[in-house]
Amino acid sequence: MSEVRCLNCLKRFSVNAGADEAACPYCKTRYRISWPRQDQPKIRGLVEKSR
Amino acid sequence: MVWKRRIAYINLTTGKIISKPIPKQLRQLYLGGRGINMYLLYNHLTPEVDPLSSENILLVGTGLLCGIPALGSGRCDIAAKSPVTGAIGDSNIGGFFAPELRLAGFDHLMISGKAEKPVYLLANDGNIEIHDANHLWGKDTFETQDMIRDDVKDEEVKSLVIGVAGENMVRFANVRTGMKNSAGRTGMGCVMGSKNLKAIAARGTMDIEFSHPDELLDYCKQMNDMITETRWARAQSKWGTLIIYSNTNTTGLIRTRNFQLNRLEKGEDLEPENMDRYTIGMSGCYGCSVHCRHRYVLKEGSYAPIFAEGPEYTSLGAFGTMVDCNKMETVLVANHLVNKYGLDTLETGGLIAWAMELYEKGIIDEKDTAGLKLEWGNEEILFQLITQIAHREGFGNILADGFNTAISKIGKGSEYYAIQIKGMSSLHSDERPTPSLALGICTSTRGADHLRGRPAIDLYGLPQEMLQEIYGAPVSSDYTAYEGKSRMVWWQELLYAVTDAIGTCKFQTVFCAVHAPKWTEFKNLIQLATDMKFTESELMDVGERIYTIERMFNLREGFSRKDDALPERYFKESTPTGLPIAKGKKIDRNGFEKMLDEYYVLHGWDHNGSPKKETLERLGLDKEPSHIV
Amino acid sequence: MQKILFIDPEKCSGCRLCESVCSLHHEKVCNPTRARIHVVKWETSGLYVPMVCQQCENPICEVVCPMRAIKKDEKTGAMLIDYDLCVGCRLCMMFCPLGGINLDAKSGKVLKCDLCNGEPRCVQYCEPQALQYLNATTINLKKRRKAAEKYSELMKKMLATV
Ligand SMILES: [Zn+2]
Repeated sequence: MSEVRCLNCLKRFSVNAGADEAACPYCKTRYRISWPRQDQPKIRGLVEKSR
Repeated sequence: MVWKRRIAYINLTTGKIISKPIPKQLRQLYLGGRGINMYLLYNHLTPEVDPLSSENILLVGTGLLCGIPALGSGRCDIAAKSPVTGAIGDSNIGGFFAPELRLAGFDHLMISGKAEKPVYLLANDGNIEIHDANHLWGKDTFETQDMIRDDVKDEEVKSLVIGVAGENMVRFANVRTGMKNSAGRTGMGCVMGSKNLKAIAARGTMDIEFSHPDELLDYCKQMNDMITETRWARAQSKWGTLIIYSNTNTTGLIRTRNFQLNRLEKGEDLEPENMDRYTIGMSGCYGCSVHCRHRYVLKEGSYAPIFAEGPEYTSLGAFGTMVDCNKMETVLVANHLVNKYGLDTLETGGLIAWAMELYEKGIIDEKDTAGLKLEWGNEEILFQLITQIAHREGFGNILADGFNTAISKIGKGSEYYAIQIKGMSSLHSDERPTPSLALGICTSTRGADHLRGRPAIDLYGLPQEMLQEIYGAPVSSDYTAYEGKSRMVWWQELLYAVTDAIGTCKFQTVFCAVHAPKWTEFKNLIQLATDMKFTESELMDVGERIYTIERMFNLREGFSRKDDALPERYFKESTPTGLPIAKGKKIDRNGFEKMLDEYYVLHGWDHNGSPKKETLERLGLDKEPSHIV
Repeated sequence: MQKILFIDPEKCSGCRLCESVCSLHHEKVCNPTRARIHVVKWETSGLYVPMVCQQCENPICEVVCPMRAIKKDEKTGAMLIDYDLCVGCRLCMMFCPLGGINLDAKSGKVLKCDLCNGEPRCVQYCEPQALQYLNATTINLKKRRKAAEKYSELMKKMLATV
């Protein structure tokens, strides 16, 4: 369950429990992550380049 | 049992009210809700009448399964000829009104004529009365409901009401119930206003009977578990439809500055997680185990204090990205204003964003807007324009007539910038990277719309085998492709038509959740609730019948293939931003026309989108209008 | 140990599933006015409170019933109406301070929660868990924890201002 689907390459990848950022291992897109449930991560937005 | 349930005919001109049972034959052909409403509209409306004349009819229908403890079964369908488009007017509303109307003894209402003075209807345990509504005229949608409860001296009365926008016959005025629910689209509130009908109230204590109550109850539990186990519903339970924003704004699938950009930069404040600052809890419609609505409080700012419900994903677009406002609080205030006045969120935001682009391009200026500087991102202008539209004041009066009239009044090439189909605004989604979604907004029978046939699961890039299993033939996994996408739209159109006819929530079928109840589960629910037996393919035929009679209505009103057209900008301007998958995309004209051809074939319609003779015969539509009721 | 039907209004989404489930289970029809549970709503302020018989320790309904028709079920602790004895005087309804007893307008009978013989159906369908069927001690601990949470929030605020 603790996977998200990359919004760019549409492949699923797993996210470390509680992490607030994650990068897609396939296309390298970096996302900010939130957790609607403890066992379910969700993409919140992009990690902006300026940061 | 189901075939004992009644339809009431209410003539507001004469005050005459009669009621009859709904024949089983009609149930088998159209189920209920939107299905029976569409049948009635085709059968009872004289072609080519002015939607604002007393000859228009207003239909209110509860779903076939209304009242079951599952899948948000409290939905109500409201229909008429649309004052926005001149085509099918049809809008679906959740909340608690539909079960109350059923408990009051009525499944369908057909309201004709026009009252001399403001009135409201009260349905109560087998009776319907027409009451004076002079004291309610001018009241907002919340006050009106409270005042009706006071009138009837019963806290449990539920009402469908219009606000000042409906009274002023703003073309896209909506019908509302409770704090949150709106039959938003196609101007059904305008039709109520044109009939001097301020509200329809219901209170009932009569039984809703089902054929196999014990088995139905157990099966409903399975249905609720099925939906709440999906990732979609789990996230939606926490943040509502706002969660869509996370995907679309990250990817670049969201209209920004009307149609100039496909992603709002610095749009973090609109992320659903930020609703936690304002939310005091979620709330659910009748019979819903997902509860996707925020109850929120705004304690500060010039419009505070506000207690309200919402916002939806649509609100984020209408009062956020499209007008280039990037503050959640702006959206929360605007959401409250349109709800109070009874305006369709989507149409209001679409028109304001269009006007802002016209202002930027110099097509209109301060002389046209009576001094309003329609600058992007100006929340005060946004609030003022919303208020002006509802009251038909100043420049708001021009927008209040909707795209068709406003385009002809403004002229000067303004049409090119209008993101509308058949005269109705499209959602703030940017469909340039997604051909399937682009097709769906064009073929929608009620004008540009995402709830008529949107294959939202296309965005997941699901495995080919899974798509084949769902849609019954090869469909490309690639959402930027054209192959098989017509089939997705066609299939979703049939599914949503049946969902609206049984009266359950679209979010609890295959809309955004792949593993949600659909044909098999619907078939089983219908059998347990009513003893009517369908196969999956017979149920799909019901969807086809509903969709085709809607098409027949539109053809009779002069619509055809030419009206299933995308705005030119989709073909000419490429998406300037977004993730690589969504950037630099526009719709290919040939690809689009080919999808449309394939789509007509799937429905059994000819090249111009007219149903073929054999299709009409197969669906039993060749003898329409048949006047069964 | 006997369990209690525990209500947490803060979690209630107001969906009224409990009402229709209750009437469907007991009366075999959907009709909230014939349900044994009722969600009291203040819509314009967003407050929803499910109300149902609390199966009191010293039930007034039992005391006022002239026919002695309301008795405790030893297994579940539910106060049950013996309809063979009940004459329909509705005194129980009038005296219950919680409105825990409903009048079925159709049959003229009084209705009250019977805890579904130890498996309350409403609880099974309540997704937000505003209704739970719990041991009394668990409830006490839950309430304490909740109160303690508020206390700790306050402590945090105080410490932050120091
Ligand atoms: Zn990727």
